[in-house]
Amino acid sequence: MHCRSRILASKIDPHLTPSAGGHINCVRNHKERFCTKVWTKQEKKSTMSNNDNESDVEYSETEECGYDDYYNPCNDADNETMNQKKCDPEHFEFECLTVDQVDRLLNELVETLSSRLRLTPSLSKLLLHAHNWALDSVIRMYLEDSSQLLVQSKLKPEKPPVVKTLSKTLVCPICIMMLPKDVFCGIGCSHLFCKGCWNTYLETQVMHGVSTATECMGCSVMATEDFVLPLLATPQLKERYVRHAFSDYVRSHPELRFCPGPNCNIIIRAKENKSKRIVCNSCKTTFCFRCGSDYHAPTDCETIRHWLTKCADDSETANYISAHTKVCPKCQICIEKNGGCNHMQCYGCKHDFCWMCLGDWKTHGSEYYRCSRYEENPNVANESSHARAKEALKKYLHYFERWENHAKSLRLEEQTLQRIRERIQCKVMTGTDGTWIDWQCLLDAAALLARCRYTLQYTYPYAYYMDAGPRKELFEYQQAQLEAEIENLSWKVERAETTDRGDLGIQMDVCEKRRTTLLQDFLES
Amino acid sequence: MAGLPRRIIKETQRLMAEPVPGISAVPDEQNARYFHVVVAGPEGSPFEGGVFKLELFLPEEYPMSAPKVRFMTKIYHPNIDKLGRICLDILKDKWSPALQIRTVLLSIQALLSAPNPDDPLANDVAELWKVNEAEAIRNAREWTRTYAMGNI
Ligand SMILES: [Zn+2]
Ligand SMILES: [Zn+2]
Ligand SMILES: [Zn+2]
Ligand SMILES: [Zn+2]
Ligand SMILES: [Zn+2]
Ligand SMILES: [Zn+2]
Ligand SMILES: [Zn+2]
Repeated sequence: MHCRSRILASKIDPHLTPSAGGHINCVRNHKERFCTKVWTKQEKKSTMSNNDNESDVEYSETEECGYDDYYNPCNDADNETMNQKKCDPEHFEFECLTVDQVDRLLNELVETLSSRLRLTPSLSKLLLHAHNWALDSVIRMYLEDSSQLLVQSKLKPEKPPVVKTLSKTLVCPICIMMLPKDVFCGIGCSHLFCKGCWNTYLETQVMHGVSTATECMGCSVMATEDFVLPLLATPQLKERYVRHAFSDYVRSHPELRFCPGPNCNIIIRAKENKSKRIVCNSCKTTFCFRCGSDYHAPTDCETIRHWLTKCADDSETANYISAHTKVCPKCQICIEKNGGCNHMQCYGCKHDFCWMCLGDWKTHGSEYYRCSRYEENPNVANESSHARAKEALKKYLHYFERWENHAKSLRLEEQTLQRIRERIQCKVMTGTDGTWIDWQCLLDAAALLARCRYTLQYTYPYAYYMDAGPRKELFEYQQAQLEAEIENLSWKVERAETTDRGDLGIQMDVCEKRRTTLLQDFLES
Repeated sequence: MAGLPRRIIKETQRLMAEPVPGISAVPDEQNARYFHVVVAGPEGSPFEGGVFKLELFLPEEYPMSAPKVRFMTKIYHPNIDKLGRICLDILKDKWSPALQIRTVLLSIQALLSAPNPDDPLANDVAELWKVNEAEAIRNAREWTRTYAMGNI
């Protein structure tokens, strides 16, 4: 997932000049407009109990660090929902469900459909699966024209099946064996095959992971599980079919997503298909609900996909180009390119190769290699395109270095957090300084720092693909501001030696405010 | 021939008795699952006049799995790469045990008549086919002359 380029030798000073003035003002505005319950559990409880006893009980049992509180600051009243959105543009409603819960959820839909339309449950299941589990619209379409819906959904042949002859034996078109008629079966289309062939065919399908998409061997009518399961020879095969089918159902349901965490069986359910952050309550994996990859606000799903592919693709190219030297593919001697010609000859072993692809030069005249296009016009146009490529690379490296630098900082700050924990442990246990609650703020600050840093990292791919103009200028301005405040916060967190949270608290506020401003644009558009 | 499924025997017999026009498929003397295939470049295509050799192998799982087919003669075609591998749906996910060697050969012949640069296997060929079809067709003719004439 991550770019593993080794071009990153050059260093960037992560310290931007902090923006002059405005901090205190900004904080005050922030505090007036939004409630800030960042501090301690006690403070939080006292605020909570003002309005809702039930939620108070619920919250007081949460053992999380103060983070959730920070992200739930506006439960005060219903008429403040708009305000709440402003408070937290990342707010997203979702549930973490188990396989059994999802199974029940899907079965309820299947049962409703099958009793409403008097269809078998297995047919209802495929019908819902084919229509993204939109129960109401399936019912409506069925009542309008049941035959058309079933044909469209490939659950019924276009033409009614041809009635076969009355002979007692048939020839199976797959194995070409003449067999008694009663060993033949089919899916309701005109195709009949012997059971032996069905067994082998269905087993092959299941072993290739095909379940709900299993078609007739002779046409594209789909096989329901009522048809498939009895024809699968072993319990293992049946189990495998059911498991694959369940995955297919989850994937066709627009509100469901498998948690991408390793070996995690949790299924996330959310009403809206948005690029919002999910944190799995079982394995704690954080990901984007829409695309399932690492959470990437403010960059959108398509852009981050392009970016990550680009990072992977360009890591080698960037290495080559920035290196100015390559190794001879034959004798491994280091060769420097000092001219415009891409036809290289190794001074050691005299091997002729292509600078671009390191392929044997002999093959370049006759074969259609990828880089053959360069050979086609080796003139001035080539030069200027080279210059253009160089410029594009420079731009990319600018963003990439920053992206990668923040990723590195995140890892370093994780180590800092560990050191902070040890320091607090020491101070509290030896009774030298404060209680756990006094120090909670510092842990909150470290967690907030990680979150801000993460967002900052993901602003770089967004900016890279943005068109030049006032929008980009504004975005990059906000980005620089966030960057400056993050580095201030990082500095303070690393050096916090007292339980005095005044200074740290202000810095946290400013940071989160900057982050929120930056995300607002993206998440609410 | 012992152990050869009836299905393969029947298909082979039919291929010999009523061959597909423009295509010959002859089983190897040593291995009845291996076919020497020769396809004539279809009329009106840039491959016209060429004679293309292919190999076709029926794997153990045939007909549950598709036959394995490969061009032995070099060909300039967006759906055939330089190793002769063919990008054809029925040879992959669209395979069905009801299809036959005959259907596969007919589909390959059709692919020569109607290249599909939108589903490419040889990227550079496909790209040229899209941006400059005339030049791509010239290349295909040139390759046909160079590699597919007088080669048998
Ligand atoms: Zn059969
Ligand atoms: Zn059928
Ligand atoms: Zn999980
Ligand atoms: Zn996404
Ligand atoms: Zn050398
Ligand atoms: Zn080259
Ligand atoms: Zn800094």
